[in-house]
Amino acid sequence: MSTLANQRGAAFLREVGRALTALVIALIVALIVIFVTSADPGKAFSTLASAPLSSNRTMGLWIDDVAKLTLTGLAFSLVFQARQFSMGVQGQVYVGGLFAAFVAMSPLGATPFAIPLGMLAGMLAGAVYGFVPGYAKARFGASEIVSSLMLNYIAILVVNYLIRAHLAPAGSGQLMTAKFPDAAIFPAIIPGTRFDLGIAIALVATVIVWFLLYRTNWGLKLRLVGHNPKFAEYAGIRASFVMVSAMTVAGSLGGLLGSVFVQGRAFGNLAQNFDGNLAFEGILIAIVARSRPLAVPFVALAYGYLRQGAQLMGIRTDVPTEMIAVVQAIIILLVASSFSLPGKALFKRLLGQSPASAASAEAAK
Amino acid sequence: MIELLMTVFSATFFVTVIRTTTPLLFATMGGLIADLSGALNVALEGMMLIAALTAVIVSVYAPWYVAVLSGMSAGALLGALMALFHLRFKADIILVGFAVNILAAGGTVFALSQATGGDKGTSINLQSKAIPALDLSLLQAIPGVGPLLKSLLSGHSLLSWLAVLTVIAVWFFLYRTPWGLWLRGVGEYPAAPEAAGIPVNKVRALSLIASGALVGIGGAQLAMFNYVGFTRDMTAGRGFIALGAVLLGARHPVGAMLAALLFGVFEALSIVMPNLFNWIPSELIQTIPFVVTILALVLFSYRAQRARQLRTLSKI
Repeated sequence: MSTLANQRGAAFLREVGRALTALVIALIVALIVIFVTSADPGKAFSTLASAPLSSNRTMGLWIDDVAKLTLTGLAFSLVFQARQFSMGVQGQVYVGGLFAAFVAMSPLGATPFAIPLGMLAGMLAGAVYGFVPGYAKARFGASEIVSSLMLNYIAILVVNYLIRAHLAPAGSGQLMTAKFPDAAIFPAIIPGTRFDLGIAIALVATVIVWFLLYRTNWGLKLRLVGHNPKFAEYAGIRASFVMVSAMTVAGSLGGLLGSVFVQGRAFGNLAQNFDGNLAFEGILIAIVARSRPLAVPFVALAYGYLRQGAQLMGIRTDVPTEMIAVVQAIIILLVASSFSLPGKALFKRLLGQSPASAASAEAAK
Repeated sequence: MIELLMTVFSATFFVTVIRTTTPLLFATMGGLIADLSGALNVALEGMMLIAALTAVIVSVYAPWYVAVLSGMSAGALLGALMALFHLRFKADIILVGFAVNILAAGGTVFALSQATGGDKGTSINLQSKAIPALDLSLLQAIPGVGPLLKSLLSGHSLLSWLAVLTVIAVWFFLYRTPWGLWLRGVGEYPAAPEAAGIPVNKVRALSLIASGALVGIGGAQLAMFNYVGFTRDMTAGRGFIALGAVLLGARHPVGAMLAALLFGVFEALSIVMPNLFNWIPSELIQTIPFVVTILALVLFSYRAQRARQLRTLSKI
């Protein structure tokens, strides 16, 4: 038992080490990019590295991002664990946000039921939107990658249309709805900041997803299908059911994120293109967290800090926020691959460690 | 309705279809080569976007063909990057592909603001060049069909003609040369070519590079003919639609071309429809290519599945 615990501990440390190494390499590249492009690189880099802590307001922005990144990271983790590459979180966020907004703008929006009902509506809409590519794959064999991406574009266009033509206050020419009633907007945990109910929802969702994946029959089947579909098939698991249900549950998480977006204090209304591409950043969170739900909030905490630092750098200095894309890509590439620092292999060879023993160590984990 | 039919059966609509299909066709051929070698290239979108920006920026300082070549090289480089991480460092190809997409979505905006000194959305301040159209007015001299031929064939981008040649070349390469056989073998069942002494990883790496190069030409066409200049996210899902076209075309060059043409037709429709039906909101018209892609994919996958089932049944 203790050896097993040791092995798990060692694997955990190795993963953390890898993630940190990737982060350091990515930050070094970011530093180089900033030095090449900025007139005042020192200020730009210190903004990137420290601005989120500079005030209560920026801390709130950071935590708000962490909540959202956690939810999208969980949605991606769930489908990645089943080895489905459904990329539909963005679309689910939009339909989820739309239906949450419907609830908030209806007469129910002024009652105490507005928040739970809005979340429920968002989750249901997201679940339906996640179910579609899953069903298309299970029933017709249509690639879930392509269909989920197409559904993203459709959702964004339709929601943008509804906002422009129907939901925005008539004649205002605005590309957003009016503010929801106070009862429909998440209460702030720390007054005056964006530190609101969203982070609590994200943490509860994390525990629920962990429980579903590691403490239920369904989760075991899902992970089996993801690890070894052939074995799962021989064991009599209906892979298509697991596949569709995984995408549906992930869809409800995406929809929940939509409701957190529109009902959170950051917006409190439904605006065009509101997700700011955050939904896709869940891929990074899920990969770095190795699709482990309990690791997701921690990764979101670290990445959210970096993301918020980049936003503030874009506002306060001459380096655009989009620079962070370079860091994102490098982190994904490094963490997804079995890279090792060049010196390490050489070091091992010098010590006379054969590749076979390394392979068996690899197999042992 | 009559107006729509009149528009669809006009020569100008045909020219529009060719224009919308060309970038898609290059991307589809790129996707096809990568897919056949066993590496699903989901980075078509990002490669196209980066190639488009590269071509636009280079075209400010150099002739158009240099710009097209540099767009192509940018795509090829990204293909090499994907090959490095997928084959050498054993990363999942889909994750590597999305890393490239993420890099492209933000990186192009960043690079553009560096190149223009502050513009974060469009290259409107850059004097970028266009790919010349091939003027075939001399066809008019043919008696009878001359004017029709001229209105159908004249005025296409040079790259549209290259696209047709590319389809033929890809078909010839895949089905009439030993290297094409290698490539298909590597994608179908890597153990067999491996045993025959074919360098599997090298074949895959080269296919990814070729895939990137083809997609890169598509990106150059998009930013130097379809639109002149770069705007953020200007590929607008074309790379993903091309991925759908690869699957829809039964992973065969001619099938993939027909699929790309189908999507090109619907994109052209979404361009001409706002003028005809101004009561349909433009956002909904823009969803047409995406809706058609899903429907076509589901329908085709269903038919392919049925065909497989029938084959298994007939064996019993």
